[in-house]
Amino acid sequence: MAPLSPYTYIQCPCSDAPSQARPSETPTRDIAADQDDDDRTFDPRAPRSNYSLYPLEYLLYCEDCHQIRCPRCVAEEIVTYYCPSCLFEVPSSNLKSEGNRCTRSCFQCPVCIGPLQVTSLETPPDPNLLAADNTSSGPSGPYILACAYCHWSSIEIGIKFDKPNGIYSQLQKLRNGGQTRLTAKERKDRRKEAMSTGSFASTHPSNPGSDDVLDVESQFENLRTFYSHQLSESTSAAPGLSMSDLGISSPSSLARLMNYYNVGSLDPSKKGLGNSRGRARLGTFREALDTEEGLQLAQLDESASISAFKASTLSDLTTTSQRLSQAESHLSNLVSPALHGSSRLTSTLRPIPVLLRTKRSKRCPVCRHIISKPEPKVASTRFRIRLVAGSYIPAVSIRPLRVPGVTPPPPPDGLLRPLVPAQYLLTFTNPLFEPVKVTLATPSTTPGRFASKVTVLCPQFEIDANTDVWDEALKSGSSETSRRRDEGSKAGGVAEVGKIWERGRNWVSIVVEVVPALIKTEGGEELKEDEDVLEIPMFIRIEWEADATGAEVGAAPGTGKEVREKRELAYWSALGIGRIGSLGQLG
Amino acid sequence: MFAGEQAELGKPSDTMSSSATTAKRTSTVPPASAGPKPPVSFSSSVTIAELAVLTGTYPVAIGSETVIHPRARLESLGGSITIGRRCIIHERTKIGYMGTEGKVVLDEDDRAVVLGDYVTVEVGAVVEASGTIIGEGTVVGVGSRVGRGAVIGKYCTIAPQSEVPAGVTIPDHTVVYGENKQRTDRRGVAASMMKAQAQQITNLRTKIPSNPAKFQ
Ligand SMILES: [Zn+2]
Ligand SMILES: [Zn+2]
Ligand SMILES: [Zn+2]
Ligand SMILES: [Zn+2]
Repeated sequence: MAPLSPYTYIQCPCSDAPSQARPSETPTRDIAADQDDDDRTFDPRAPRSNYSLYPLEYLLYCEDCHQIRCPRCVAEEIVTYYCPSCLFEVPSSNLKSEGNRCTRSCFQCPVCIGPLQVTSLETPPDPNLLAADNTSSGPSGPYILACAYCHWSSIEIGIKFDKPNGIYSQLQKLRNGGQTRLTAKERKDRRKEAMSTGSFASTHPSNPGSDDVLDVESQFENLRTFYSHQLSESTSAAPGLSMSDLGISSPSSLARLMNYYNVGSLDPSKKGLGNSRGRARLGTFREALDTEEGLQLAQLDESASISAFKASTLSDLTTTSQRLSQAESHLSNLVSPALHGSSRLTSTLRPIPVLLRTKRSKRCPVCRHIISKPEPKVASTRFRIRLVAGSYIPAVSIRPLRVPGVTPPPPPDGLLRPLVPAQYLLTFTNPLFEPVKVTLATPSTTPGRFASKVTVLCPQFEIDANTDVWDEALKSGSSETSRRRDEGSKAGGVAEVGKIWERGRNWVSIVVEVVPALIKTEGGEELKEDEDVLEIPMFIRIEWEADATGAEVGAAPGTGKEVREKRELAYWSALGIGRIGSLGQLG
Repeated sequence: MFAGEQAELGKPSDTMSSSATTAKRTSTVPPASAGPKPPVSFSSSVTIAELAVLTGTYPVAIGSETVIHPRARLESLGGSITIGRRCIIHERTKIGYMGTEGKVVLDEDDRAVVLGDYVTVEVGAVVEASGTIIGEGTVVGVGSRVGRGAVIGKYCTIAPQSEVPAGVTIPDHTVVYGENKQRTDRRGVAASMMKAQAQQITNLRTKIPSNPAKFQ
């Protein structure tokens, strides 16, 4: 069993549902109201706790509510969308029309998801033969997308590009194999052309071209056009409907559309309505009949796919993750109708456009103040506002207490010995510019099946302010500080009850004594995950005096007096001390 | 590996203090960690850096125009090492490495490693000993590992940080990447890659001072 390095997790108050719901303009009253909660011991092993415990570095702090905020409870707002590959900022209006992928030339390899590079197929001219040639410097087309890691290239799917930029739009017009793909408009133009040349009769409806296999996008486009046309025709007869709400995507249109299908509804309550409406429209509404209208006959003949499979080896087949990434990027398979909707052969894969990323600002869920706001510029990693909990609440570090000559040498496996008392040093570092008073509370035994005994030798102490290092150094001679330095029990070499261990500029260390439980399972019972970890729930309460902030100061600027106000913050934390070894393991 | 590297780097300076006349860069004293000096047969056009390490008792043969970078390590402790023509062996590589899985004992006439022509072994890659064969034009990528007894075909690519398990056979034009995934290289660029290799070797020969005499 691997040893475990000590950790401190802090519980965000959001896991405490009632206090979250209350408007907490007066945080002190909040804590008073939660008094009965304090009686209940927090169990870091409870399933709920998984969602509320965070390392200090993950937590933010609201200066207005004076409360800790975690990634789970903050409200996020997107500041910028950008492509992580070309660092191009994408306006949110583009996002609606063009989707959440980079529409420039950024692609990922469909085989190994490595970044693809645009390379020229033309080999650079031999310098020895340059003289006679004209001076067309630089590489020229055609261009391909190539993966430098797995050596996949778009040649494998038969795709080459004329230009080195705007690959996304070029790729949209190309099927695998290199044939150009007609857009809906081009299709229409072509049909018109056919009609005007008089070949309409021969090409429609037995037009072999109209049985073309449509890719999903084109089919959807055709269907959409067809249904909106149908809808406008059927409703133009009905009075009282304005043309404005005829858009196929409007909810009322959708409701009407659904009504057409409710004709034979078995639900008696809806029957009357469905029937009357349905009958009225019955003659005017029909379904798509050919490819132009979006009808796509199911391709039941799979012999082509089967023969392709027969001719392929294992490495020609796509993996599940490859198929998923194709589906996620909404890449219609443009080469042939996909078998059951997914690409099965690597020759059907398409380069994956890079997914856009976001920069987000975070708001306090209670007072809506912004507590984290990144610089909107993509290339900048700075933050305009960033209120991290680490600059408001003390950091706690844990390490075993070793007094030379007193403590026995640590076991080589780093495990705690059951039933053998061990002392640990908790060091609290104060980030505030005011001295703080810390009060600690722990249950005498840890919760769970295996109760280890816990004793905090000094549950109440003060930590000095996080003053300037140089100020501190200059006044270090004063008797007051040296007196305070001496109060620790480190000098004695033995941890004493009620005494801190050591004190520094803005930190205090205290001793916690644990008696690890004996981990014994009955019969064939299995240990639950991490059940042998000694984890102490600790309630930390800090009190300090600060300059009054906010409205009071602004309201009374004339008074000129510094108003001090008392603050307090209380929260649960979970201190992971170490893993308990079994008796047999330790011999 | 790191600790071994340090010891290796530390040693030359120790020996230097005893032979104060030799300048730092041109010390002819072999590193103490090098072990026995193998019998070598170099082509006259080989470029081998002085800081390359050759150790072992079995013969090491290097073909014409091949470049061995400084700190490349060729171990012929269990069998002979043969390196073909126009190969590039980069820094901190281990050719003929005897064991991530414990030492191997090779038969008397066993060949530890055979590299074909135009093979590139990139920085930090390890090619383990025991009949390991790497075919012509194959690139063994940065930090990758070729297990003992693996037979790799021609024009293969072992992608960076990937691993070829011991004893496997890899067909020609294969790309080994990711977690033991394989695919066929369909680029058909073998000829131009060989041309580029020759070009790179001519560049390297002007930059790496060769000292084959040190190993003979
Ligand atoms: Zn929270
Ligand atoms: Zn991009
Ligand atoms: Zn790739
Ligand atoms: Zn707030």
